[in-house]
This record gives sequence, structure tokens and C-alpha cells, in this order.
Amino acid sequence: MLQNFSYQAPETLKDLYALLKKSNGKATILAGGTDLLVNMHNNWISPESLIDIKKIPDLKGITFNPKTGLSIGATTVCIDLINNKDVKKHYPLLAEAAHNIGSPQLRNRATIAGNLCTASPCADMGCSLLALGASVELGSADGVRVIPLKDFFTGPKKTQIKKHEVLLRIVVPAEMAGAKFGMRKLKRIKGHDIAVASVAMARTAKVMRIGVGSAAPTPVVTADLAASTTLEKAVAAAEKVICPIDDVRAGAEYRRFMVKEFVGQIYPELF
Amino acid sequence: MLDNTPKKDLNYVGKDVERIDVVEKLTGQALYTADLEFAGMLHGKVLRSPHAKARIKKIDVSKAKKLVGVHAVLTGNDLDYRVGLYLVDKYILARDTIRHFGEAVAAVAAETPAIAQQALDLIEIEYEVMTPFLDPKQVFDKKAPLVHPDLGSYSYVEAVFTPVPGTNIANHTKLRKGNVEKGFKEADYVIEREYTNPNVQHVPMETHIAVGKWDTGDRITIHTSAQSPFTVRNLFALSFKIPHCNIRVITPYLGGGFGGKAGIHLEPLCCCLSKLSGGRPVRIQATREEEFSLLPCRSGLTYNIKTGVNKNGKIVAQKMTMYWDAGAYADYAVNVTRASGFSASGPYEIENAWVDAYTVYTNKPFGTAYRGFGHVEFSWGMERHMNHVADTLGIDPLEFRKINALKPGSKTMTGEEVVKNTGSVTKCMEAVAKSINYGKLTAAELAREKKTGMKIGKSVVALQKAPAMPPFTGTVMILKLNEDGSVTGSHSLTDYGMGTYTSLAQMIADVLRWPIERIRLPIENDTDRDPYDWQTVASKGLLLSGNAAILAAKDLLDKCYDVAAQALRAQKCDLDHDAEKVFVRHHPKSHVTYKQMAVGYAYPNGNAICGPIIGVGRYIAQGLTNLDKETGQGNPALDWTFGAHGLIVEVCEKTGAFNIIKVASAYDIGQVINEGSVRGQAIGGMIQGLGTAMCEGYIYNDKGQLLNPSFTDNKIPTSLDIPEEIDCIAIETPQIDGPFGARGVGEHSMIAVCGALGNAIEKATGAVLTHMPIRQENVWKALQNRSGKKATAKAAKPAKAVKAEKPAKAVKAEKPAKVVKPAGRAKK
Amino acid sequence: MKITLTVNGKKYQRDASETKNLLHFLREDLGLTGTKEGCGAGECGACTVIMNGKTVNSCLILAVEANGADIMTIEGEAKNGKLSKLQVAFKKNHAVQCGFCTPGMIMSTRALLENNPKPTVEQIKQAIEGNFCRCTGYQQIIEAVQDASGQLKKKEGLKRA
Repeated sequence: MLQNFSYQAPETLKDLYALLKKSNGKATILAGGTDLLVNMHNNWISPESLIDIKKIPDLKGITFNPKTGLSIGATTVCIDLINNKDVKKHYPLLAEAAHNIGSPQLRNRATIAGNLCTASPCADMGCSLLALGASVELGSADGVRVIPLKDFFTGPKKTQIKKHEVLLRIVVPAEMAGAKFGMRKLKRIKGHDIAVASVAMARTAKVMRIGVGSAAPTPVVTADLAASTTLEKAVAAAEKVICPIDDVRAGAEYRRFMVKEFVGQIYPELF
Repeated sequence: MLDNTPKKDLNYVGKDVERIDVVEKLTGQALYTADLEFAGMLHGKVLRSPHAKARIKKIDVSKAKKLVGVHAVLTGNDLDYRVGLYLVDKYILARDTIRHFGEAVAAVAAETPAIAQQALDLIEIEYEVMTPFLDPKQVFDKKAPLVHPDLGSYSYVEAVFTPVPGTNIANHTKLRKGNVEKGFKEADYVIEREYTNPNVQHVPMETHIAVGKWDTGDRITIHTSAQSPFTVRNLFALSFKIPHCNIRVITPYLGGGFGGKAGIHLEPLCCCLSKLSGGRPVRIQATREEEFSLLPCRSGLTYNIKTGVNKNGKIVAQKMTMYWDAGAYADYAVNVTRASGFSASGPYEIENAWVDAYTVYTNKPFGTAYRGFGHVEFSWGMERHMNHVADTLGIDPLEFRKINALKPGSKTMTGEEVVKNTGSVTKCMEAVAKSINYGKLTAAELAREKKTGMKIGKSVVALQKAPAMPPFTGTVMILKLNEDGSVTGSHSLTDYGMGTYTSLAQMIADVLRWPIERIRLPIENDTDRDPYDWQTVASKGLLLSGNAAILAAKDLLDKCYDVAAQALRAQKCDLDHDAEKVFVRHHPKSHVTYKQMAVGYAYPNGNAICGPIIGVGRYIAQGLTNLDKETGQGNPALDWTFGAHGLIVEVCEKTGAFNIIKVASAYDIGQVINEGSVRGQAIGGMIQGLGTAMCEGYIYNDKGQLLNPSFTDNKIPTSLDIPEEIDCIAIETPQIDGPFGARGVGEHSMIAVCGALGNAIEKATGAVLTHMPIRQENVWKALQNRSGKKATAKAAKPAKAVKAEKPAKAVKAEKPAKVVKPAGRAKK
Repeated sequence: MKITLTVNGKKYQRDASETKNLLHFLREDLGLTGTKEGCGAGECGACTVIMNGKTVNSCLILAVEANGADIMTIEGEAKNGKLSKLQVAFKKNHAVQCGFCTPGMIMSTRALLENNPKPTVEQIKQAIEGNFCRCTGYQQIIEAVQDASGQLKKKEGLKRA
């Protein structure tokens, strides 16, 4: 039994926007619930109302268009991304990243968008989508705006989403389709664990990017590097964007070492 | 050996028999405490301290009391009762002083959990935060703040324990055997090093839960997830000064315990809330987070070992100093200190031994019993140390262990003589060494190293444990013959997963020569219905309750023979029995069936004799003594189960990542009763031990606040964390006084496997680890600290004696032996 | 909120509290106490049920979110008083000790076998990664699933020297 809150499940975007406006920041979006309900169970948060967005058709589904890229609807769960043919074919990094999340039970329920909105520094989807240069579409009654994912995270558990907005979908650019890629995640056990440090890299003929998790207040990404960037420079670029800390999960020194090590491990896979 | 049925006639003992409680567990029909509903039941919740040490300046519960739906609110001011198992030191709710993070400060009972939570949120407390005492090694610092300034006024079990008032020492166990100083003088080498373990949580999948009902006239009913219903009843009676017969404790199905549910925990609070609510049942179910700090954990240990050894590998003297980090309350920790104190050397003979084991109060969550009862912790140090000493001498570590292993004729540290039937640790070591191809890498392993770039290392460690229990530990089994000739047992050993009940049923079936389906041992226990058992701990259940079961079955048969003798006008010596009847051996047609005699035998004309039949078996440990408080000498061991693990690991020298390729374990368990259960205990405990070794352990900040009280940051092994290959071997040197020759193995599988991992990693890479857990990051750090030398796993020849690497403190001693002591070691 | 859902093939209609998770709804409102609570935070898997064909942690779903769902719990595994093949394999292979993780473990392995009738050991391990078991060390559970899928050559046993 959780603390009191009201529950609504709008069936259209319009209704959702109206509810968000009315609640004036006191409502919390419920998608997979795998973070939200844990936070509520622990009494870390007690929202006045939950708005379940899973009934809204516009927020569902994964589509791929060779011109506009991949669109991941806000209520897409990990297992759908893992099993999606287009994802497997054009953006296998995303399938791998989604597979790194939690346990089977969690992957059956947790949404990709939720993983971003939680804005944990260790979000598994964060570093991979950053490496792919993804952006997010935020919608409200006032309209839709698109933000590059690299500007989306503003701090631990903080994003650009305004109180009347909702994340509609994640867009991965078409030019990253078929990118060479690699991902590594440091865990404390071999079973399900959040990332203690993680690195995802993607490279096309034009660009190389390195996304890093659990090594800064948010998931971070290097600037767009030249596709021909040397290993030394790639490592240096990754080092430049991280600022790891000591915590119960690992020491800063080891995180730094492992990020560099992972870049070194993945690098040959990109060529 | 209370039964001499020839092995060929045994239908169940030694076989692989399915568990008797498995169907209800597989269907979800087994009822655990949380599954029970009681009319009018209220939900209790506990307010916990966010501080490790504080004075409660003010506590205001007036708002909470006024909340609609709240029936009871309690603070420490309301409850002037202390509880304690061996040392009565704990209030039910903190009074004035907070002694650990997570300590219960107030409690409420309300109609729903949500209302109870709201009520907690309305309680206002002002704390004066104080400096906590956190480092048990500072126990001799006269300026250290005292956790229990009133220690001198507490009552305790005086025959066994020695608290030191005016200090933070809850117990000081001493052991003095031979002359250690003389031994050190005669030794060729003296080698000293220190090993540490953090607090660890048991993590039963079912968190602690109790439902208490305190009726008018002080009649108490408690349903609880406790391992030891009679301990709950006894301690409850003593704390509240209520007659035992007024208290009824019922334990439904139990979702694991591992020692964490051995004592008394949530029960008093539930009952006090119930009393205040006019006798409504009050349930408290611990959250997983509460399991980590409100409820007890395993004590931490800092273990200093100083070993004097001769060039030929014989240990001649050993001084062992244990600083047990007991946390805020003594609970079982004082007895962990005692039991590990007398066992601290591991399964090795130490001619001249000196142990000082201190149970140190600190401002941390308190320690209790945990599978292995101190042996997991000290064996980490001892088994690492054995390798350290062997490496220093240039002797193979397995050879070194064999030289020093306890064997017939050896004396244990308490002076008890090992005989042939005590069991063989050497056989265990040899079996696992063979299983892992110890001492070399196979062609496949060499190929694997080449392919992965990782280094493979192997190790063999040994272990031993005797039940830690009072010398007068006893139990009873009652078998009640039912109308149809089936039997229902009644006893109070609990089965929280081990499978002991199935083993007991197997023994009863074989003594009676009945099919096991006709023997029912109800899993639930009830102190009003079932006879006394001390506790379900210490791996003593199979031996003591097994003997009681055999005696009960024999007594039942004896009563049946009495009836048959009378009914058939035969002498008892001419009778025999089978699954259905007692008959005259030379006239089998002349018989009485169990059905006919179950509730009293009736002649055709209606005359009846004898009445309903029950069999009773009482058993108590034989020949044990308290240990001398000054020397630790005496006879504490019901039995010794010996064992060994062999472990193969591969390690990445760059990152510290490692994979456990294989663990082989062998135990001398006297006689296998149930193959599947033995294997289940062997593997389950070994993996739990690897959890301790690899990933578990409490992390505090410098204020004593626990930073990882959840599965998010206190990982336990998952299915992906088990070794690639597991081998389990049973050695069967019969225990003379064991049922069918058997000994316990419940705890042993968890012991020493941590040391096996540390030793194999060092063998593979030269990384020296002295602290648990061994996380990948710790291996990486240890790899950075390697002093130029790289051990090679391939070396078949023994490693050469080396000058100590950090943090080792070994020195080659010029005679007389010179000892380098680690800087900053506490002076006594 | 009024919800309708199917559990183990039986249709239920209840007025569900919005603040109640599916786990507590199953246990308290429907009396199906076979599904257990081990952490309430989606880490341990004791509360695993199959919802619309997929395993989920029922502690992390609101009962009202399950409106219209088709759910299977441990109570649906044995049919007409007869254990399923999977349950029999657990029984035979000593895959149960305290039994508290067992209902969730059965749900996860059943879902695995429905999608993959002949899983490899690695696949079995991955399928139960989200189900903690503190008693068995997993090995006998893995063997039970191998057995249920007809892949256990000979029963793994204790070696007796």
C-alpha cells in the first residue's frame, strides 16, 4: 500500500496535456513504473497524482525511416527495442544497451524513455543514445520542441522537461544507421546491477562519438570526433568529459581507469 | 549410531528422497507468516534512528496518536523492559540513547500500513547527535566513548561470558594452550598479518515478520518467522516476567533464516502494541531496508594472526587476536566470539595456542548468528594466512595444510583428542585437490589462458566446525500413532529450508520399516503443541533431533510390541514387525496390525487394552563441558564436521575482473542421509560464501550511517554469479553417536570458500588481498600494489620464500625469532 | 477504481485501491498468497507473475494498471490437483529449499520454456537472473529446468567417496 495519490490514464495526447496543465507540476508521469514505484515504495517521493500514459496510441511503437531515422515512442519497453527488427538491423547498439538494463522482469516493463527521464547518471540507455546523437521530442499543449539528448540532462535526476511537458519520443538520426558500435558496462556482480561505469561508442564514415555513464553527474558524450580519431585521442576525449566521484559503488580512480580501458576495448571493434 | 539396521535394509537413509514439504511450496500453498490473516489485525510500523549515536532530547507523539485509524503509539519511555539472549542489554525501543543507525525509536499500530506510515511521519523527535564509537580496534583507547556505560549492571550468563564493565568489551574469550612464547622462540619463522571482514546481511528471502496478540490476563500468542520458537518464548517470558505457559509461539513455514531469525526480534514490539490496542493482533513485517539495520547482521571481524613455524612446515605456536565488531547489542555476538575463539585455528593442530577474542560494542547495527557462526569470518583470515605462511616457507600450501591438519591423536585447541571417527580433513582436501587438478594447469586450462589473456589460479582450503551450543542442549521427538496406522510427529526443530524434516522422516521410516508416506512431520511448530527444542541453529539439528527421532521410533515400536505381546499372548522377544503389523516371528499369521492397536487394542468381545500409542525420544548432548574461562580448555564439541574447497579462478591482470571456473567441495559428514539435501546444503552455502567473498558487506560513512541498506548497493549472488562448474563430494567416516553415523553440514559449506577465492587470485596473479569482500576494484588495486614479483600459476614447484609484500609483515627470522608488528597495532 | 482482469483463467472484477500494487492486490483482494514479497523494489523477483505473456515484478505495477490484463500466478501452474512437468522437475531435482523464491522462480522458468523449449544453461541462468534464491545456490534449479526441457542427461548427484 503506497501513500495516497490519484490515478488517471488519459487516452489521447490532448487529454494528457490538459491534465498536465491542470496539475501544475504536482502530477508525475507513470510509464513502466520500475523507478517511480520503487521511489514511492521507499517514501522518497509522494506525488499527488500519477498520470499513466500507456493508453495513448501516439506514444507507442518503434518506427524506422531511412530518411528520418528511428523513432522510439515514449511507452516502448526494453524488450520491444531488443526484439525490434529495425533496431537489430540498423542500431544494434540500442538492443545491446537495452539488454544491459536490469533483469528480464524489468526489461519487460521498463521504458526506454523512462530510463532517460529518470536522468540517473548510470542510465544504460543514456550513453548509447548519446553516442548515436539522439534527440528527444517534448510535447505540451503549447506545442512540440526537439532537444538534442546531450542537452537534455541538466544534473542528477534533472532534465529539461518542464512541468507541463511530456517526452513523446526519442529520435535517432538516420545517418547513424549501421554505425559500427560497442558497449561495455562495469557491474559489481555478473547478474543485474546498475552501471558502475559504462561506455558506448558509435562510429560512421563521418563521425565517432563516445557516450559515458556513471562517470559524471549525468550521462555524458564527447564532442563529435572525426571518424579517423586515433585511440589515444579517443581516450583523451572521453577523459575530458568525465568527472567521476568516489561512492559506495566504486572509487573515482577506478571509474576513470575503467572508462579508459573500455574505450580501448571497444575502439578496435569500430573499424 | 543409535540404529544398527544393516545398510542393505535401509530404504530411505542414504538415498535421494524428495522433500516432504515440496508440494505445498511448489504450488504456493505453503503458508508463511505473511500469508496469515487474523480478524482485527493491525499493522505496526517502526520509526528508526537516522543517527548512529544520539541522545533523544524530545519525542512528541501527540499528533500521531490523534490520527484516525491509529490504535497504539509507543516510545522507549513506555517500555522499561530489556531483552537479551546471553547478555541482557537491549531495550525494545531505544530509551534516551540511540546506539545504532536504524535503531527502533518509536512504533505505531494502525488499521492500514499507510496510516501507520502517516503516523510515523507525524512523530517529532529532537536528537542531540553524539560522536559514535565505530572502530573495534580502538577498544583499548581509554578515551573511547562507551556504547553501554551501564554494562556492569546488566545480567548475563556468567558461566560462559566475561563482559568488562567500563569498556566496550561485551565479552573476552581466552584460550591458552601450551606455551606460545616458548613456541615462538623455538620457531624458525614468525609470521604475522591482519585480515578484516565487514558486517554482512543474511538476506533470507522472507524478511522478519511477526504477529503478536496480548490478551487480558497476560496470555500471549505470537506467530513469527523465528527459527527457534522456544527461544522466543523463553526470552519473552524472562523479559516480561510472564509464566512460560501463558505464552504460545507458532512458527509457520519459514522463508530462510541463516541465523538471522535465531533470537527474539520483532515479537516483543508486536505484543506491546497489541496490549495497548486492547489485544488486537499486531503485525510487523520488516521491509527489506529494515532487514539491513533495524534487524541484526553478521558481526565484522578484524583478525590478527601471528604464527611461529618451523622450516619443515610444522606450526609450533600461534597467537590469535580477534576484534569482533558486535555493533550496539551483544545478541549472539558474544557466543560467536566464544565459538570462533575455541575454533580460531581452523582444522589444524596448534601445540601452543593463545587466543584473545573480544566482542566489541560499537555504534553500528548489531551482529547475530549467521551460518558458520564466526567461522566464515575467521576462516577468511586463517586460510589466507595459511597460504601466506606456506608461501613464505616455500612449501606448497596444500602440503603445508596436510602437515598441520588435525588427525587421529591430535588435540584440538581446547584439548579434545581427535579420534578416527571424528572424521578426516585430509581426505576432504585430497578429494577436492583431485577434482580441480590441483598443482598444475591442464592443457585445456593453458589453452583458455592463451585465448582469454587471463591468468588461472587454483587453491585448496580446509574447514571445520562444531555446533556452538550449551553443553546441555537437548531435544524431544514425539510420534503419535494415528487410527489408520500412520504417524504424526511432534517436535520443535524448525525447517527453514534445510530439508532436515525430510531427513528425520527418512530415519523414522527406516527404523519403523514403513513407507515414508505414512510419516508426517508438520512443518509448522507450536510451543503449546510441540515439545521443547533449544534452538534450530549450529548444524546440530540432524544429529540431536535425528537421535531423538530414532529413539522415538524405537519407543513407538516397543509400545506396539507391548500391545502385540499381550494380544497375541507372546513374549516380546519372539515378535518382529513390518510395515503393517507386529507379528510372531515363527507364526507370521499371528499378528496385530498398527491400525488395530493405534488407539487401543480391542478384543472381538469389546474388551480393550493399552490405549492410544505414542513414542517418545529424548536426546541430550553427551559429555560436553563449559570451557574454563581462563584457559578455554574443555569439551565443547558435539561433533566436528570437516571439509575442504578447491577453487579455480581466472583473473584479468589489467582490470582485476575475475571468473570462478570451478568450485569442488568435500565434507566428512559421517553418513549421507539424503543425497539431494546434502548437495543442496553444499552448493547453497558455498554460493552464499562466495557472496560474502565477492560482493556483500555493509558500507558506512564516518558518522556510522549505513550507506547501502538495499539490494541496489548490497548485491547478492544471482544465477549468473555461480561458478561454471560445481562438484560436491561426501566423505563418510561415521560419527559414533550420530544418527546412522551422520553429522551436520548446514553451515560448513559457507566456511573458508572466501579464503579459497583470495588464495586462488593470489596464485594466479600475485595480488594480495586481506579484506573482504573481493570486488573487481579491490583486485585491481591489489594488482597495482604487487611488488615486482609476479606469481605464475604454472609453477609446479613451490614458490620461493619471499620477503613480505605489502601488507604482509613476514620476515625471515634470525634466531631467536624476530617479529615485525604492524604499525599502529593496539597495545594491550 | 473498478477493474476487470483474468487471473489463472478466471475472471475477476474488483474495486481496486489506486494505491495498491498488483502484488498486494493478488494477495489481499484475491487471496492468492502464493506470490511473495521479498523487497518491494523490483530487485528480488519473489513477486514475479506472468502478465500478458511476460514476466513482471508485481510489486512494481499498480493493480489499476493491470485492468484488462491476463495474469498467471503460481496458483495456476498445477492443473486439477496435478503438478506440472516443471513442478515435478523442481521436486525431483531438489530445486526447492525454503520455498519463498519458488513461486517466482516457477513463473520465470515457465515463461522461458514457453518461448524456448530447449534453453541452454546460459539461457536458463539469464532467465532467472532477476529471481534471487538465497538457499539453493541456483544449481539444482538450473538442473530442474534442464530436466523439465528433457535435456538433463543423467541426474546430477552427490559424489560419495
